[in-house]
Amino acid sequence: MSTPILQVEKLTKQFGGLTAVHDLDFDVREGEILGMIGPNGAGKTTTFNVIAGTFPATSGEVRFAGQSILGLAPHRIAERGVMRTFQHNRPFAGMPVIDNVLVGAHTHFGTGLWSVVLGTGRREEADKRRRAEELVQFVGLGELRDADVTTLSFGQGRLLEIARALAGEPRLILFDEPAAGLTPAECTRLAEIIRGIAARGIAVLLIEHDMHFLLPLAQRVVVLNFGAKIADGLPDEVRAHRAVMDAYLGDHAAAH
Amino acid sequence: MTAVVRWLGAALVLSAAAFFMSDYHNDVYRKLMLWVTLALGYNFLFGICGQVAFSHFAFYGIGAYSVVIFLFQVHMPLPIAILCGIALCILFALAVAIPSTRLEGFYLALATLALGQLFIIVLNEGASVTGGTGGIANYRLPDIFGVRIRGPWYTAVIVVLLLSTYAILVRLDRSWFGRACRAVRDNPEAAAAMGVNVARTKVIAFTLTSALAGVAGMVYAFVDNTVNPPIFGIDNAFLLLFMVIVGGAGRHLGAVIGAVLLFLLPFWLSPLVGHHHALVFGVLIVAAILLQPSGLAGIYETVMKRR
Repeated sequence: MSTPILQVEKLTKQFGGLTAVHDLDFDVREGEILGMIGPNGAGKTTTFNVIAGTFPATSGEVRFAGQSILGLAPHRIAERGVMRTFQHNRPFAGMPVIDNVLVGAHTHFGTGLWSVVLGTGRREEADKRRRAEELVQFVGLGELRDADVTTLSFGQGRLLEIARALAGEPRLILFDEPAAGLTPAECTRLAEIIRGIAARGIAVLLIEHDMHFLLPLAQRVVVLNFGAKIADGLPDEVRAHRAVMDAYLGDHAAAH
Repeated sequence: MTAVVRWLGAALVLSAAAFFMSDYHNDVYRKLMLWVTLALGYNFLFGICGQVAFSHFAFYGIGAYSVVIFLFQVHMPLPIAILCGIALCILFALAVAIPSTRLEGFYLALATLALGQLFIIVLNEGASVTGGTGGIANYRLPDIFGVRIRGPWYTAVIVVLLLSTYAILVRLDRSWFGRACRAVRDNPEAAAAMGVNVARTKVIAFTLTSALAGVAGMVYAFVDNTVNPPIFGIDNAFLLLFMVIVGGAGRHLGAVIGAVLLFLLPFWLSPLVGHHHALVFGVLIVAAILLQPSGLAGIYETVMKRR
């Protein structure tokens, strides 16, 4: 297997006296889907936000492609090839679908402001637009290319988030509960898209509340509870793990 | 090629109009175009980048005063005076934008409001440099290559200013930079996650539009051949905001419609209500904000879509 693109080592995040994440270790490899599950408040989203640069870590290390990205501003982390989606869709409401996706490609534009003013750089704009159109097609929003994003359904908004993140040509993509709020049909479609992304060689870190969505999709799973890793391994191993049963599903589920 | 023809055509038509006007109408026409120029720039800052700033008119004043002072008190040649004026606007813009964009939007409004007021105080207290409350008068545009630009020919200069400002802003708007500005306005956190440097984008947009306002001010300085403090007061800064809101924030067409409407409205209203046209403006603003947030340009777009 290839070397890990993302390495998280002894990551700890405290909010005042509360330890949200404690001594967490895991890694993600290129083309792999790593699932991270745990009950509400287990520290999944905090981990995610520390990796994406939204919060600083208290201690530990996060390395991307061998280099530490801890403490970098979110836009610098994005620049290096880590893109994300938001749990609650965050479209740019004043722009059509295609322009939202083009914002995702922001860091790949090489035309300077002077060239823009002088009217050069149109070819680059056209190239990026074509690529954005492909991504809009890939997630299945082709017909809504020029639609106002405020007219999209929740599920379509989620697909837009994915296309926008892919436009940044990420080496690692972070999904924050992508299945939340989707219909079963949309979930099936989403799972296909996520597999397609991993098949392109992109590393996927998938945070998910819903085990039924995540377990068939992930190649490896990390289970968090109260900020600490309680289990990791193949989906089937995790499914059978006693501590996971207790923590995640409760004694009730384990009894069945 | 067709684009060049279109721009030249627009410049010709807008300039030619000036040659068929009386002096009075020429004056109104010039000021109308200056307002449209300012509104276009302010729309980029406020409507597209979402920055609530009240300094746009102050930069118009900084441009006007600086070019006059550099020309007639420091005795610089015209091109150098223009460059120094632009440099001054950029310096002031950076000084305001860098600290205030690090804070939330509200603080930019306060900082720029303070700059606007401070500018008027400096003008009033500037003694012989700024001419105090009376301002500076009795100067005229230096000859350029021995030619004196006057009358409708100077109106043509304003046409060029208007069209170049528009061209620059439209190109910026349709580029990665314009999208970054809109992204920063709509959702700064998501913009940062897409790799947009939010603070830098705001500072660049602020500095750029402020410099454009400064250039417009330089052109204005030779319209009345006088600059004085009341012209650059806070009233006009708010009028500019109203123009953009009524016309439709975030739309170039809106800036044009808003500026034309609110600039010409007092001419039609004054025979009816005297100087109380501000009251009508107030009603228009409230109506726009409550009933039609996308402004008059939004109404136009809806009508065009239905056809």
